Amino acid sequence: MIRVQDAPFDAGDEQQQLLAGRSDIGAVVSFTGLVRDFNERPDVTALTLEHYPGMTEAALGEIVTQAEARWPLQGVRVIHRVGRLTPGDPIVLVVVASAHRRAAFEACDFIMDYLKTRAPFWKKEHSITGDYWVAERESDYRDASRWESENDEIP
Amino acid sequence: MSLTHLNTRGEAHMVDVADKPESRREATASGHIQMKPETLALLSEGGLPKGDVLATARIAGIQAAKRTHELIPLCHALPLSKVSVDFHLDEQNSRVEVVATCRLNGRTGVEMEALTAVSVACLTLYDMCKAVDKDMEIGAIHLDAKQGGKSGDYRRQVAPATAPIVTGEGAAGQVSVGSRCAIDSPCVRVKFLAELRERLGISDVTLPLDSLPSTDVGGLKSALVKRDSRFARLSEGRVLCAVNQVMALDATPITNDDEVAFFPPVTGG
Repeated sequence: MIRVQDAPFDAGDEQQQLLAGRSDIGAVVSFTGLVRDFNERPDVTALTLEHYPGMTEAALGEIVTQAEARWPLQGVRVIHRVGRLTPGDPIVLVVVASAHRRAAFEACDFIMDYLKTRAPFWKKEHSITGDYWVAERESDYRDASRWESENDEIP
Repeated sequence: MSLTHLNTRGEAHMVDVADKPESRREATASGHIQMKPETLALLSEGGLPKGDVLATARIAGIQAAKRTHELIPLCHALPLSKVSVDFHLDEQNSRVEVVATCRLNGRTGVEMEALTAVSVACLTLYDMCKAVDKDMEIGAIHLDAKQGGKSGDYRRQVAPATAPIVTGEGAAGQVSVGSRCAIDSPCVRVKFLAELRERLGISDVTLPLDSLPSTDVGGLKSALVKRDSRFARLSEGRVLCAVNQVMALDATPITNDDEVAFFPPVTGG
């Protein structure tokens, strides 16, 4: 399940819902990304997340589909928030369930790496010294390229 | 309100801070150095003759903060616990913004140290880049914030930022998505998202399909540039494109009523 929303989420609730009534799941890995109070500049007071409605959901769906093709997964939940957030707020949640832990760990890592480089979200940070758009990071692309082989499509 | 560096006879003196209680002091100052876009590009690529410009300017700023008392006559020598100097390459305004933060537990404020760090970092940037650009201009050096001490916390008042536009549904100023062409003849709907929208100053435009020299993304870019030269930015390497919400290249064909979006590299997560 994929959701793009303004409202906060509760990682515990989401994980419980994913697992409800299931006894075939042997491992669940959950990642929550939070707003930091420092990034490109110190003293980040808030950030605004913009996205491209429609394409965002499609891109996230495609990433989950790719993860499901690579690992035997028994449930995936991806939630990404948009709008104005303040330090400490959760931004993104990825919960992955599988029969075994390795698949769950790797798929969660994969989904986050691809989400950061392929899903159309943009962060604008508000700091005490002004507002600015966050630049993409070389390291995020390096992380994502770990999962690529020559027969993958290049975005 | 009086000037603490002047005594009752109006003479300059150093303020005795021995009896002031120690407190956590922190100050942040910033400024910028304006330069030619080519100079900024060289700087970001590390192509300047004097080498790693930002690393050198950072060390210069930190050193300067520590030696502020040697430069400013009535300043106390302070055992700073932290000095940070950060740079932000502002391509839009073609300048480097410099932000310095100083901190200590002590009896006197550290704003002069932060301001000195910014000033000397800017001067060092000038020195490092002057071989290729002599027109650089240092400006807007000011205190942003100061915490601790008797005079209390200070935060520079800045003009309120314009409300950020969220392309999400229902938010004010959003980019509409999915609307039909407003004109009867075959057309293409173009959207500009995030930083690109702000740089171009436009969020949506509709073009007649027959104004495109070729009915693909490359043709659309040409038609836009013909309309306004600022759209030349769309051909920069960083700009991505999607046709009907699927990633596209210059050769991707465009048909009637397609939605084409241009946007910067993504930064979610």
